[in-house]
Amino acid sequence: MKRVFGVALGILTAIGGFVDIGDLVANSLVGARFGLALAWATVLGVIGICLFAEMSGRVAAVSGRATFDLVRERLGPRVGLANLAASLLVTLLTFSAEVGGIALALELASSVNYLLWVPVAGLALWLVIWRVKFSVLENVAGVLGLALVVFGVALWQLHPDWSQLVQQAVSPRNPPGEGLPTYFYYAIALFGAAMTPYEVFFFSSGGVEERWSAKDIVTSRMNVFVGFPLGGLLSLAIAACAAVVLMPRQITVDTLGQVGLPVAVALGKLGLAFAILGFVAATFGAALETGLSCGYSVAQYFGWQWGKYVRPRDAARFQLVVLVCLVVAAGTVLTTIDPITVTEYSLVFSAVALPLTYLPILVIANDPDYMGARVNGRVANLLGTVFLVIILVASLAAIPLMLATRAGQ
Amino acid sequence: MTTVDIHLQLLDRQVLDRNGLLVCKVDDIELHEGPDGVPFVTAILVGPRASGPRLGGRLGRWLTALAWRLAEPPGDAPPRIPFGRVTAVHSAVDVDRTRAELAVDPLEGWVERHVIGRLPGSGHAG
Repeated sequence: MKRVFGVALGILTAIGGFVDIGDLVANSLVGARFGLALAWATVLGVIGICLFAEMSGRVAAVSGRATFDLVRERLGPRVGLANLAASLLVTLLTFSAEVGGIALALELASSVNYLLWVPVAGLALWLVIWRVKFSVLENVAGVLGLALVVFGVALWQLHPDWSQLVQQAVSPRNPPGEGLPTYFYYAIALFGAAMTPYEVFFFSSGGVEERWSAKDIVTSRMNVFVGFPLGGLLSLAIAACAAVVLMPRQITVDTLGQVGLPVAVALGKLGLAFAILGFVAATFGAALETGLSCGYSVAQYFGWQWGKYVRPRDAARFQLVVLVCLVVAAGTVLTTIDPITVTEYSLVFSAVALPLTYLPILVIANDPDYMGARVNGRVANLLGTVFLVIILVASLAAIPLMLATRAGQ
Repeated sequence: MTTVDIHLQLLDRQVLDRNGLLVCKVDDIELHEGPDGVPFVTAILVGPRASGPRLGGRLGRWLTALAWRLAEPPGDAPPRIPFGRVTAVHSAVDVDRTRAELAVDPLEGWVERHVIGRLPGSGHAG
């Protein structure tokens, strides 16, 4: 019974924890401009993250080593360090976006300027990282994030023309007035939002934090193969809401309030309250994940003690890295740079950095020295290789498309 | 007897102390020539003085020079773990001493004493 409960809780956490500020902004923004014509990019990203998160979870369960621990071993100290620098920058950028997201969500709830919420959010994040148990930290944010299911309810209450939505999704094309480069630029942003690298750093390190062994592979797989696709469905509901309410009125998404607007239209104040609770939980949870991931990746490269399963003083440099990254992330938001803009850039640079994370995972998951009999099967390798090609194309095309479309303008 | 590929299975691998805590990476290894002329591994070398030269390039040279200068006493050899302490090489390298006994990473201790250890609650696990 306890085991069933554990698996169920893991799935709920995976659903609620799947969506972060990047998914919120990208799906709403794209839904308002393209309808569901880019739903395929989200679906592709969800399949990709399932595939590689499963591999990284399996590696962590079998070998007890998290993703970045192994990056240096397979790439060597020099290329590993370059990889660390790039991954850390992208994760830090995402961390800033999440902190900005918390502040914007609290502004929506309180009408107090978001900049005043940044120090509060920063302090709350640090206290949770410093004192709260890993499993509590992970599960509470994830379960509260389920409030975002309100987007599904709103979509149903809006009584959309379902056949038209399905039509948009299954015969994708760029709508009139939107060029192909812009279309593919946003496809990459959605793909990057679903596959953000920190998710596998966090997922695999979390497996080590919770002392997974080979018998926990089932739990890991349930989280990934049930929780992530349902989380992806939430992303699609957010996009569909925007497609139904915002697109016909030609409202473009530049603020977090506009992301929640369709819920307010469909369900009124109470619905909006749920949406805002979901925003706070999703961004706070993701801020914890990205902040810890900064510490995980640095500590794992250098071999320092890391993790929340030991006292903070026994993982001193890990805690210091997390603290410094938190100050940098909050400081970035306090420069008054628009958090929504930071989010959009974090998605594009995530897409650029994807191969740095996913290639080593595919290599390690095939290494019998670590994995014994638990190496990748044929299907996982075939899909993994196909996705690696897609990831490479997305990574190479991201910057040129960003320049050509002036970041989707 | 099992064979260990030094490049693939030893270098850059995580070192665990006898309580399973993380100690360091195998930043480099020390080899000695046996009486039969065959080299054998005598120690795991730790820290930037060991990893710097393997990093290569300008950054590696700069880091190595800085690490030698900051060493206590200056110019001292990098910290080492004698290979006799190693009990197993699997997805990590196990040694039969505690982190404190090995004392290969003075910077970790410094951060613990002067920064993190001074914050309230640092002695309580989450």
